[in-house]
Amino acid sequence: MTTLQIDHVSRWFGNVVAVNDITMTIGPGVTGLLGPNGAGKSTLINMMAGFLAPSTGTVTLDGQQVWRNEAIYKHIGIVPEREAMYDFLTGREFVVANAELHGLGDKAAQRALATVEMEYAQDRKISTYSKGMRQRVKMASALVHDPSLLLLDEPFNGMDPRQRMQLMDLLRRMGNEGRTVLFSSHILEEVEQLAWHIEVVVAGRHAASGDFRKIRRLMTDRPHRYLVRSSDDRALAAALIADPSTSGIEVDLAEGALRIQAVDFGRFTALLPRVARDHGIRLLTVSPSDESLESVFSYLVAA
Amino acid sequence: MAVEHPPAAAPGDQTRIHNIGYRSYDGPRLGRSYATRSLYSQSLRGAYGLGRSIKSKVLPMLLFAVMCVPAAIMVAVAVATKAHALPVAYTRYAIIMQSVICLYVASQAPQSVSRDLRFKTVPLYFSRPIETADYVRAKYAALASAMFILTAAPLVVLYVGALLAKLDFADQTKGFAEGLVSVALLSLLFAGIGLVIASVTPRRGFGIAAVIAVLIVSYGAVSTLQAIAYNQGSTSAIPWIGLFSPVTLIDGVQSAFLGATPALPGGHGPSTGQGVVYVLLTLGLIAAAYGLLLRRYKKVGL
Amino acid sequence: MYDPTVARLTYRALLGRRRALILGALPLLLIAISVVVRALAGADDQTASDLLGKLALATMVPLIGVIAGTGAIGPEIDDGSVVYLLSKPLKRPTIIFTKLIVAVAVTMVFSALPTLIAGFILNGNGQQIAVAYTVAALVSSIAYAALFLLLGTVSRHAVVFGLVYALVWEALFGSLVPGARTLSVQQWSLAVAHKVAGGDLVTSDVGLTTATVFLVAVTVLATWYAGQKLRTLTLAGEE
Repeated sequence: MTTLQIDHVSRWFGNVVAVNDITMTIGPGVTGLLGPNGAGKSTLINMMAGFLAPSTGTVTLDGQQVWRNEAIYKHIGIVPEREAMYDFLTGREFVVANAELHGLGDKAAQRALATVEMEYAQDRKISTYSKGMRQRVKMASALVHDPSLLLLDEPFNGMDPRQRMQLMDLLRRMGNEGRTVLFSSHILEEVEQLAWHIEVVVAGRHAASGDFRKIRRLMTDRPHRYLVRSSDDRALAAALIADPSTSGIEVDLAEGALRIQAVDFGRFTALLPRVARDHGIRLLTVSPSDESLESVFSYLVAA
Repeated sequence: MAVEHPPAAAPGDQTRIHNIGYRSYDGPRLGRSYATRSLYSQSLRGAYGLGRSIKSKVLPMLLFAVMCVPAAIMVAVAVATKAHALPVAYTRYAIIMQSVICLYVASQAPQSVSRDLRFKTVPLYFSRPIETADYVRAKYAALASAMFILTAAPLVVLYVGALLAKLDFADQTKGFAEGLVSVALLSLLFAGIGLVIASVTPRRGFGIAAVIAVLIVSYGAVSTLQAIAYNQGSTSAIPWIGLFSPVTLIDGVQSAFLGATPALPGGHGPSTGQGVVYVLLTLGLIAAAYGLLLRRYKKVGL
Repeated sequence: MYDPTVARLTYRALLGRRRALILGALPLLLIAISVVVRALAGADDQTASDLLGKLALATMVPLIGVIAGTGAIGPEIDDGSVVYLLSKPLKRPTIIFTKLIVAVAVTMVFSALPTLIAGFILNGNGQQIAVAYTVAALVSSIAYAALFLLLGTVSRHAVVFGLVYALVWEALFGSLVPGARTLSVQQWSLAVAHKVAGGDLVTSDVGLTTATVFLVAVTVLATWYAGQKLRTLTLAGEE
C-alpha cells in the first residue's frame, strides 16, 4: 500500500479554483510538496487524506478511493497542521486513545512515543506542551498503527533547529523503510534537505515534479548562471563574451569572481575549459549559482 | 548587525547622501482622552453595525426596527381613533419589549468585547496611551448608549405621536421623562451584565448563549416564583422575588419611584421602602459590573 | 455501533471543569428554588406542577440539552481536533451514535435526576407529579440531545441556534401560535408525562401516539442525518 495516485484532480470553492487539474503519483520515499502560501497545498493534502472531496478527478491509494472510505485509514497516518488536540489529555493518554481507535493497544502507543522521543513528558497534559512537543505527539499518533502512507501538513512549522533535525531524521528513516512520506512546506531549505523528490504547486497548478537539479536542467528557456573564480577574471570574461553561448558577464568585485549567464548550457560547458586552456587561465572555482531549489522555485513561481 | 556607513564626505564638499528613510512624526498628538473618545464612538457605531460588514448590520437594525414599529403603530392608532391616551404607558414599553432588548444585548455585548479577546488584540490597546479604566469606560458607555438609543427611540416616537394626537402636553412630557429615566437605568444595567458575561469568554457564540441564558433563566425563574406566590396568596413575597432578575428589577424601580404600574401578577408593586432596596441593588449591580470589568481587563492580555 | 474510546473522549471533553460547573449550576438552582418554595409555601400539587413544568421542563432541560448536545461535538469541529476521530477506520455513524449516548446520559443525569429530587422536595410525589415530570425530562433529554448534536455537527453557531429554539421558539411561538405546539419537544414529553400522572395537573396539547411517533422520528432522523453529515464533513483550515 504505497502508491498514491492523484488523477486530474481539481477543487473549486465557489468561484475560486484552489487546485487546478493536478495529476501526480506519489511513491515510496520522501516527497516534498512545495509551493508558496495559498498555492493549494493544504487543499491538496486534505484531498489526499480523504477529508475533502475533489470537484473532479480521483484520489486513490493503490487503487482504492480515499474519499468516504474509512477502512483506508488503516494505511494512512496524518499529521494535521492545526494545533488543536485534546488538550486535557496527557500525551500518553492521547496516543493510547489514537491506538485504541485503530484497534491497537498500549504497547503500540509506547512504541510510537519512543520513536518520537516523547516518553519523558508523556504524563503531562498536552496543554502544557511546547509547540515542538505537540508536533511530536501528533507524529506519534500518526505512527501508532504503522501506516504505509504518511501525510504531514507543514510539519516543521514552529520547530526549533534541533527538533527539526530530529524530525527530519525520523522522516528519512520512514522513507528508507519503504513508506510513502509526503510533507508540505513553503520553506525551501527544509525541502532541499529532506525530499528526494519534489512536487511544486503554484497557484493551484502542478508546476514541476522530480529532482530539482534535473528540473533546472529542463528549464532551457532560462539562462544558467555560474560563479567562476580564475587567475585572470577579466581576460576570461573578454574571451567568453565573444562566444554566443553567453548572454551576460558581471564582474563581481566584492566576491572577486565572475557571474556568467549562459544561454546554451551544453555549448557553454564545453566552451569554458577550452577557453581557459587557450588563454592560459587557471580556473579556481566553477559552480552553478542557480541550481539551488530557491532559484528553481523562483523561476517556477515567476512563470 | 552589519550597518553600512556611507563614506564620510570631505569637509566643504557638496556631495552627500540624503537620509530619506525614517521620517519621524512631528504633528500634534491628541492624547488619551481623544483615544478613549474614539474607542467609544467606534464601539457605539459597531453596536449598530456601522463601520462593519453588511451581515453584521442586519441584526441590530432589525431589532431597532422591531422596537420602533409597534410604537409607530400605536401612535397611528391613537391619532386615527382620537384616543385620550396612548395604549401603553412610556414606562411599560420597555418591559413589554424585553425579549428584543435581551436579544440585542446578547448579540452586541459579545461583538464588542469578545473579538478583542479571541484575536488577542487587547495588548495592542494597552500599549497605547489609554488605561484599563479608559477601555472599560469606553466600552461600557458605548454599549449603554447603544441600548439607550434602542430603548429611547420608541419613546420619542410615542411622545411625538402623542403631541401630534394633541394629548395633554404636561402629562405626556412627565410620562416621557419618567420613561427616559427608566430606560437609562435599564441600559446601564443590561449593558453591564452583558459585558461582564461576554468578557469572560473569547468565543462569541458562547458569550451570546451565556447572556441569553442568564437573562432568560433569571426572568423565567422569577416570574414562575411570582406566579406561584400569587397563587399561594403570599403577595408580600412578590416584590422581594422581583429583585432577582434584571427586568423585574427595573420594573420595580420604576413602579416605586417613577409612577409606573408594575408588571407583576396582582399588580402589587414594591412599597417605597422596598423601592429603595430596588434602586440600591440596581446601582450596586451597575457598580459591580464596572468593577468586575476592571478586574477582568487588568488580568487579560498578559 | 458504540466505541468506548470515543465515548471516553467525549465524556471527558464534556465534563471538563468549566462546562461541568455550568451544567451543575442549573440543577442546583432548581433544587434551591424548590427548597425555598417548599419552606415558604408548603407542599402544594399545583405549585409543584407549575414549577416543574415551567422551570424544570421548559427551561432547564432544554438548556442542559443544548449544552450537552452541542458540546459533545461542536468544540471538536470548531477547533479541528475532530480530525483525530475522522482519520481512523471508524464508521461515522458509530462516532455520532456514541456521542449521542454520552450526550443523552449527561443530559439525563443533570436534568432528570434534579427534576425528580426537586419534585420530591416540593410535594413528595403527590399525584405522581414528580415521577411524571421526571419521565418527561428523560424522554425530552433524548430528543433534545439528538437534535442539538445534529445542530452541532451542521452549524458553527449551534449554541446560539439551539438556545433560540429551546428558549425562544418553545416559549414564545409555543404560546402565540397554537399549531406550533404540535412541533414542540416539550409538548411531546408532556404527553408522556400526562400518561404517567393521569389526572389534570399535567396536560399536553398533543396526543400520546402522535407524541411518541414524533419523539422517535426526530431522534432517529436527527441521528441518521448527523452521521451522514459527518461523512462529508469538510475540515476548515486555520481562520
